[in-house]
Amino acid sequence: MKKEESVSLSGQSTDSGATGAAASRVAQICATIDPVTRLEGHMKVQVQIAAVSGVQQVVDARCQGMLFRGFERILVGRDPGDAPHITQRICGVCPVAHAQAAVLALDRASGIRVPSNARILRNLVAGANFIDSHILHFYHLSLLDFIEGPGGPPWSNGWALDRRFGTAAERSLAENYVRALEMRRKAHEMGALFGGRLPHPPTFVAGGFTAVPQAEDITAFKGYIQELVGFISGVYLPDVERLADLYPDYQELGRGFANLLAFGAFPVDDSDTQKLLPAGFVAGASSKVETPNVDGITEHVAHSWYEDQTSNLRPSEGRTQTEYPKSEAYSWVKAPRYNGLPCEVGPLARMWIRGDHRRGVSVIDRHRARALEALLIAQSLRQWIEELRIGEPVYAACSSPESASAVGLSEAPRGALGHWLEIASSKISRYQVVTPTCWNCSPRDDEGRLGPLEQALMHTPVKDPARPIEVLRVVHSFDPCLDCAVH
Amino acid sequence: MGLSRRQFLQYCGAAASALGLTRPELGLLRRALASPNAPAVVWLQGSGCFGCSISFLNRISTTPPLTAADVLIDIVNLTYHPALMGAAGEDAARLAQATCDQGNFILVVEGGVPTAHGGHTCGGWTIGTEEVTFEKVVRQFAARAKTVMCVGTCACWGGVSAAPPNPTGVVGVQELTKRETINVSGCPPHPDWIVSTLARILAGETIDLDGFGRPTRLYEKTVHYFCPRKKEKSADTFGLHGLCLKKLGCRGRVVGASCPVALFNGGRNWCVKANAPCIGCTKKGFPFRKLHRKRSG
Repeated sequence: MKKEESVSLSGQSTDSGATGAAASRVAQICATIDPVTRLEGHMKVQVQIAAVSGVQQVVDARCQGMLFRGFERILVGRDPGDAPHITQRICGVCPVAHAQAAVLALDRASGIRVPSNARILRNLVAGANFIDSHILHFYHLSLLDFIEGPGGPPWSNGWALDRRFGTAAERSLAENYVRALEMRRKAHEMGALFGGRLPHPPTFVAGGFTAVPQAEDITAFKGYIQELVGFISGVYLPDVERLADLYPDYQELGRGFANLLAFGAFPVDDSDTQKLLPAGFVAGASSKVETPNVDGITEHVAHSWYEDQTSNLRPSEGRTQTEYPKSEAYSWVKAPRYNGLPCEVGPLARMWIRGDHRRGVSVIDRHRARALEALLIAQSLRQWIEELRIGEPVYAACSSPESASAVGLSEAPRGALGHWLEIASSKISRYQVVTPTCWNCSPRDDEGRLGPLEQALMHTPVKDPARPIEVLRVVHSFDPCLDCAVH
Repeated sequence: MGLSRRQFLQYCGAAASALGLTRPELGLLRRALASPNAPAVVWLQGSGCFGCSISFLNRISTTPPLTAADVLIDIVNLTYHPALMGAAGEDAARLAQATCDQGNFILVVEGGVPTAHGGHTCGGWTIGTEEVTFEKVVRQFAARAKTVMCVGTCACWGGVSAAPPNPTGVVGVQELTKRETINVSGCPPHPDWIVSTLARILAGETIDLDGFGRPTRLYEKTVHYFCPRKKEKSADTFGLHGLCLKKLGCRGRVVGASCPVALFNGGRNWCVKANAPCIGCTKKGFPFRKLHRKRSG
């Protein structure tokens, strides 16, 4: 955290997209959080803080993705069948989502329809990963913004500001922190029954799945799901409401653009028409849900460390050409836009589109939607496990085409995920990945519009710029995954 | 909360400290931890995916420390782990720096080290207004650490991040720093490989390493050696149960790892048991071109 000299906003306009420019001479403080801890990957957040109408608040924000690996280039020239294995390694927290998007693209490229068992097995493993990820996010990545936690390193030395839980509540939440470690581990064990192992299950292949369900695995799966449903409904959801009760201001903070987007996931029929989490687009948190059209997606790079000539391309023709350093650029994350709009993706977008949660768009609403979604998925897993047919096929023989282009659209725990695949001479010739955190934590786009998290940070009141806990709470509510975002 | 680690442990009803190690090792570890000079642990995450940390969190054993929580609460003085720690921003970086300045610490590295663009494809942290690259952090910390332990194939040799054309010039920690590292490979490694190696380091034990810098004990036998399916007939397509996966490209014959007996996720499963060929994730050179040698069809 670094406080810098006060500067005049008009005199040192670092940036055009900010909305705080109304105050012509305001003493500003720059606060930097780097690393933003308790998330996946490397993120730096910089905010400008100034008093507006007597309230010290964020008047400008920049979200910076600080790790680039180049998966899209690593994949080119490889065997298409490698894609599920390689892309899973984009993220150890949501590997299954990448495996799923990759095999959906490969299935499409081969023109194959996978057997029911394969669809169900993929859903079961993906669902287990969602539950693991949501529990991990609330208890282990977010909660320490509000409580001390178990005490001692590595948990101690957080910014102990604005702590509103009493001693008894702190204790019980710290206990639940430890219990949640056990629960998320069990969610992984449940997924590994069919997935082989987690993270990085090797079982997702074009044409279906490798594991063949056995009666004892089904029984064990049911045991886990029973316990997880109990934890989510009896502990996780109530804990979110305890937080909501004590932090009502966070039911308003962190709204942002409130444009919500989902690609949909968990197909519940073999024709791929019905999904547990449907696709949709909602402008400005309205009640009108539109069907999204992937052709409306482009990725901007004006403020990202990629060549400007690759900006505003659809992912199907996207390129990843680095340029570092580059003036005006401040992130390795590209800026995807839907019909030009910055969009928020994730559990709140999905629950909103489904019609399950439309109270508002805020820090608490994101946590609440995530917990509600965990319960919805857990209950669905209980139903889907009954639909597995022992002895029926899990795989349909398929060969990879010599040339094809296809897209695999799905959802990761953190939001909409797309893999755009092109095959030429039986090898991958183009692979573009647009992840949830690309959407949520994107930098400014070619038009200077802020990314969704940047916008959500605007006007967040900050009491102590040296320890901007309020900023951290807004950031964590999005469950950023920078490993995914930059890949 | 004002609870000591020990009190909290008791509060949670967890077991007292011991390890899944031999009795002499256990004694060593107890003595090491009883010492006020027991080394702290700094865990850095670089060009990787967080998967090794997640695998560590999946620890469940029949011998204490039973779980990752037990390890964290009772065994390891983990002063820095970016994904688990309470502190944030420069305050977090300064905790790591303070440990480093003290000198008596174990450095754990997860993820490879990018060297392209002056290391700027992977940030470490910002101190003041200076962005310190991950490469610089690793160089500085490895130079002062008592022991450097690489968790996962990326930290050992670059792994997936260093796959051709290695867009960000990723190297393993040993190659970068030219000092000995103890390599626990795997993508991800089994949690017990991580915990037992860390415990042996903390206990001050001399660990016998193979030619790849890995604890010999963990990687000396091949997957095939342990594989219960090696006498089965070979599957020629995916989705068949119980068969040998050689024809589908299984690399178990040439890959050292105890997966078939270690079993992942609380003993639930491993790749071949789920009819998925071994893709060789513990081996230097992973991810190999064409992970499944034969596309079926």
